[in-house]
Amino acid sequence: MKTTGTEISYLDAIREAQAHALRDDPRVFIYGQDVGVFGGAHKATKNLAKEFPGRVLDSPISEDAIMGLAVGAAIEGMRPIVEMQFADFSTVGFNQIVNQAATLFWRTNLPCPITVRLPFGGTSGSGPFHSQCMETVYAHYPGLIVLTPATVEDAYSMLLEAVAIDDPVIFCEHKFLYYHLKAEKLPSEALPVGKARIAREGRDMTIVTYSAMVHEALEAAKELAPEGWEVEVVDLRSVKPMDTDTVMASVARTGRLLCVGEAWPWGGVTAEIIARVTSEGYGLLDAPPQRLNAKDTPVPFHPNLWAAHRPTARAIAAAARKLLRL
Amino acid sequence: MLQTVLEPGTAENAASVRETYLAAYRYMVLARLLDDKFAALWRSGRIHGGVFLGRGQEALSAATGVCLKKGDVFAPLIRDAAGRLAFGETVLDAARTYLGSVRGPMRGRDGNVHRGKPQEGYLPMISHLGAMISVVNGILFARRFKKISGVVGAASVGDGATSTGAFHEALNQAAVEKLPLVLIIANNHYAYSTPTSRQFACHDLADKAAGYGVEVDSVDGTDLNACLETIGRAVARARAGRGPQMVVAELLRLCGHGEHDPADYVDPKLKSSPIGRDCLKVAEEFLLRQKWLDAVQLGVMRGEIVHEIEAAIAQVQREPAPDPFVEEWRALATRHLGETHEDDGN
Amino acid sequence: MPQIPIIMPQLGESIAEANIIGFLVKPGDTVEAGQDLIEVETNKANMTVTSPCGGRIEKLTAQLNESYAVGATLGRIETTEAEAARLGLDVSPPTKPGDTDRVAKGSGNGNRNRVQPTVRGLPVPANAAGASYLSPRLKARMTELGLSAADLAGVAGSGAAGRVTVEDFEKFIAHLEKQKMSQASTMRVTVADAMRRSWTRPIAHVGMPVCLDPLFAYRKIVKPKPGPALCALRALAVALAENSAPAGRLVGNKIVHPSSIDIAFAVEAEEGVLVPVLRNADKRRLKDLIAPYNELVELARERKLPPDATGGSIATVTNFGTFGLEWATPIPLPEQTLVLGMGAARHAPNWDSVKGQFVPIMEANLTLSFDHRVIDGGAAGRLLQHVADLMSKPEKL
Repeated sequence: MKTTGTEISYLDAIREAQAHALRDDPRVFIYGQDVGVFGGAHKATKNLAKEFPGRVLDSPISEDAIMGLAVGAAIEGMRPIVEMQFADFSTVGFNQIVNQAATLFWRTNLPCPITVRLPFGGTSGSGPFHSQCMETVYAHYPGLIVLTPATVEDAYSMLLEAVAIDDPVIFCEHKFLYYHLKAEKLPSEALPVGKARIAREGRDMTIVTYSAMVHEALEAAKELAPEGWEVEVVDLRSVKPMDTDTVMASVARTGRLLCVGEAWPWGGVTAEIIARVTSEGYGLLDAPPQRLNAKDTPVPFHPNLWAAHRPTARAIAAAARKLLRL
Repeated sequence: MLQTVLEPGTAENAASVRETYLAAYRYMVLARLLDDKFAALWRSGRIHGGVFLGRGQEALSAATGVCLKKGDVFAPLIRDAAGRLAFGETVLDAARTYLGSVRGPMRGRDGNVHRGKPQEGYLPMISHLGAMISVVNGILFARRFKKISGVVGAASVGDGATSTGAFHEALNQAAVEKLPLVLIIANNHYAYSTPTSRQFACHDLADKAAGYGVEVDSVDGTDLNACLETIGRAVARARAGRGPQMVVAELLRLCGHGEHDPADYVDPKLKSSPIGRDCLKVAEEFLLRQKWLDAVQLGVMRGEIVHEIEAAIAQVQREPAPDPFVEEWRALATRHLGETHEDDGN
Repeated sequence: MPQIPIIMPQLGESIAEANIIGFLVKPGDTVEAGQDLIEVETNKANMTVTSPCGGRIEKLTAQLNESYAVGATLGRIETTEAEAARLGLDVSPPTKPGDTDRVAKGSGNGNRNRVQPTVRGLPVPANAAGASYLSPRLKARMTELGLSAADLAGVAGSGAAGRVTVEDFEKFIAHLEKQKMSQASTMRVTVADAMRRSWTRPIAHVGMPVCLDPLFAYRKIVKPKPGPALCALRALAVALAENSAPAGRLVGNKIVHPSSIDIAFAVEAEEGVLVPVLRNADKRRLKDLIAPYNELVELARERKLPPDATGGSIATVTNFGTFGLEWATPIPLPEQTLVLGMGAARHAPNWDSVKGQFVPIMEANLTLSFDHRVIDGGAAGRLLQHVADLMSKPEKL
C-alpha cells in the first residue's frame, strides 16, 4: 500500500480537529494519559503539546479522577477534551461519566460541555480489553450524546461539533479506522450531528450501521451488486441522538432492514433501531427486520477468532442474501 | 456567609476570634435545630425518602464553612448541614430540597442532602463517596488555567469514603497537580454500621497523607475552637500555594446513618469517651465560661433560630411540588439533539 | 529448499502499514533466526523486521522509502528442511481469515440450535414464508387499494416458499394498469364481497328434474298466471313451514331457526342481481303472491325497490332457466343456507310405465345449493323432492 503525501487519515483528522479547537477557543484543553509530549498512545495528540503549551496535559492513571476533574473544569466554564486511552478503560471512570457528568444539567440546570474521546472497536490481536464497543452503554444513560463517525470527514467535523456542544459528548473513534481510512482532504462543511448519511443508495434492502461496520457493509453491497441486488447503506453517524427519520425513509423505500453493529447482541444499537422501526414503521416492512452483531463473548485475541467474532463484509452479505430471499 | 477569614497570626485579634466563634456557633445551633426539625418531619411522614443528619459533626462542618470565603469552592457531604449554611445556603433552600418544593435548587429532581449551586462553587453531591473530590480538583484546575489565584476548594468526606478508589485517585491527582485542595476527613468511626477496624488498616487516617505527599493535621472534631484554628491554618496553607491539605477530625456520629437507622452497633465505650462529647454542648460551655454570651442570650438566640426555622418550613410547605406534566423532561442542554419517544410527556 | 517469506509484522495497535527506511542485509547474505533485516518507520516509532529463521537471503522485494501493509511479503529466505521443521515453518500457512468462501459457522443469524419458543404450548409460527403469508407492508398496501387476499389469487409469489412480496404485488398492479380496465360499479364490488364471504363455507348441490305439465295445465285455467319460479318459491315456503331446520343458520354450535318464512327471489338488474323478498310466503296462497311478485320484479328492474323489500329472507329462489340454462350451481347468499334453482323448461321423454312407452312431457331441472355445514345431501334431497311433489299439485299451493 503506497501513501501519497497529501492523504489525510482518520487519526490525522482527529488530531487536526483538536488543533483547530485549541486554536479557536481558549477554554479548550486536552487531558488524559500520555497525551502531552508523547502525543498519546495512538498519536492522536502528536505535537499538540508543543504547539499549544500548557493546554495538553498528562494525567495519572485515574479515569475516575480524570472524569471528575473534567466535570469540575466544565462547571468552571472550560471545555475539556478528555482522552480515555481505550474505551475499555472508561469503565473505571464510568461512575463520573454517567452519574456526575450526565446528571449535572438535569439536576442543576448547569450544562456540562465535556468531550470524552473513546478509542473503541477491535483491531486484530488487541484482545478483550482493547477492543470493546461502549456506545450502547453510554447511549442508554440520559444526558449523554454518543457519536460514532465512520469517515475521515466525519471524524473531523463531528469532533469539532462535539467540542462546541454544551452537553457531555462520548466521541467513539474507531481504532481500526485510525490508519486504515484515508481521505483526500478535510471537509469545509458537513452534516450536523444527529443526521444520518446515506452512504450508498439502494432499492432492495436497507443496511443501517455505524463506524467501521459502514465500510464492511459497503463491501457487502459491492459483493451483492453483480447478483442483481441494490443494497442501501445508512451510516448513522450519531448513535444518540439517532436519526430515526432517515432510517424510516430508507425502509419505506426498500421494505427490508438489516442492522449491523460491532457491539454485542443484547440490547444495543441494532436492537434500538429495530425497536423503533417495528413500532413506528411496522407497515413499511415486507420481511421481519434482522440484525447482525458480534458474537456474545468477550472479544478474542487470535486473528482467526477475531475475524469470526465481529461482522465482516462476507457475513453481512450472507445475512443480506437470506433477507433478500425471504 | 462570613466575610472575614481566619488568617494565620490573627489569633491575637480577640474581637475577630470572638466574632468568628460566635458566628460558627450560631451556624451549629441552626444546623442542629434544623436537623431536629427534619427528623421530626420525617417521623411524621412529611418528608419523602431518607433523612440524614449531621448531629455530632456541627463544629467541624461549621468551622469549614466559616473558614472559606466567597469565591472558594465547597463540596460538602452528608453531615455538613452546618457547613452548608455557613458557606451561604439558606434555610429555605435546605428545607425546599427535603420537602421537594419545585422552587428549591434541585427542583425536586434530587433530594435530601444532594443539593447545591455549582454556579456558585457550592457543589451538589452525588451518592458515590469520594466522587466529589476530583470535581473540586477540576474547578481549582480551571481557575488556575484562567490565572485566578487565591482560591481554595474544600471537600468533606467521612472515614468510609477514604476507602474508595475515587478518593485515592482524586487525592493523588490533587497532589500531582499541586492544587489548593483542603480535604476534611470527619472520622466518626462508623461508615453506616462498619467500624473503622473494617475500613482501613493503617493506625491513623492521617498516616495516609504521607503516601500522597500532602500535609496533614489532626484535630478534635468536638472542639469548635480547635476546628476553627486547624482548618483555618490548613485553608491558609492551601491558599498560599503549599498544595493539598488534609485535616483528619476525630468525633462520633450522634445519630444513625440516616434517621431510619437506630445505630445500635455503636460501641457504648466510644459514646462515653471524649470523642463522644456533643460538640454543641462543648461550645456552649466554652461560650459561657468565656462570658461571650450568657444563658439568657443563648436562650434568645435559640428562640430566634426556632422561629426562623418554623417560618421557613411553613413557607416551604405551601410551595408547589414539581408537576410531571409541566416539567420539561430533557436531560440535554442542547434541545435539538434530544430524542422524543412516544411515551414522553413532551 | 524451502523458501520462507519475510513478512511485515503487526508493529502496534491499529498500525496498518510501515515505510522501509533501510536494509541491513542484502541478497545472498547468510542470516540467523531473529537477526535484524530491515528498518521500518511507522507513525509512532522506528522498528526493525527480524528474520523468521536461519538461512540465506534469497531476495528482497521491498523497495526503499515505499510503504507496505502489515502482512505483506518483503522478501524471501532460503533455508533447509531441517531448519524449517525446527521452527515449525514447514506447515503451509492457513488461508487468511476472510478468504474462505465458507462463512464462519454461526455467523449472522443462522444459529438454529435455539430452543423453540412456544406460545401457550403451541409452536410459534415460522418466519415470513409460505403462500398465505402477507407482510405488514403488503397488508398496508392492500388496504390502501381496497384489496383482499382473494384479489391476490392470480399473483405468483417470488418470496420464500412462494409468498407474495410487496414487489410481486406492485408489479402485478403495474401490469394490471397496462391492461384495459373499466370501473366496477358499486353493486359489482358489493356482490363480489358477498360472494367471497359466501364462499368461505362448504357449498354442495343436489338436483332433480321436475315435471311441469301439471303447472302448465293449471296456468291454462287461471288468471293471473303464476310462473314456474313463483310456483317453486311457494312450494319451498310450504315445505320450510313444515320443517324450517334446513333453512337454519349455523352460528358456532347453534342452529338459528328462521322466525318467519320470508323467501327472496333473484332479479337480474343492470350490473348485478337484486333479491326482493316475499314475506310470509307460507301464509299466502299462490294466487295471492302473483301481484306482489310482479310488482317487485318491476321495481327491481327499475332499481326502485323500497328498503323493506330486501333483506331478512331465509332462502332464495333463482330462475336461471330464463337464460336458457338447464343446470347451474348457484351460491347461497352469505347469510343464507339454501338457494333453490330452476332451469329452463324443455320437452323431454318420460317413461310411462302404464303405457309401457316414453311419452313427451315438459320438464325442468330443480337444484338445491346448500351450506353443507347445516344440512347433508339426504336432507337436501328430501327437501327438493318435497318441493317437486308440491309443484305437481299447483292448485293446492
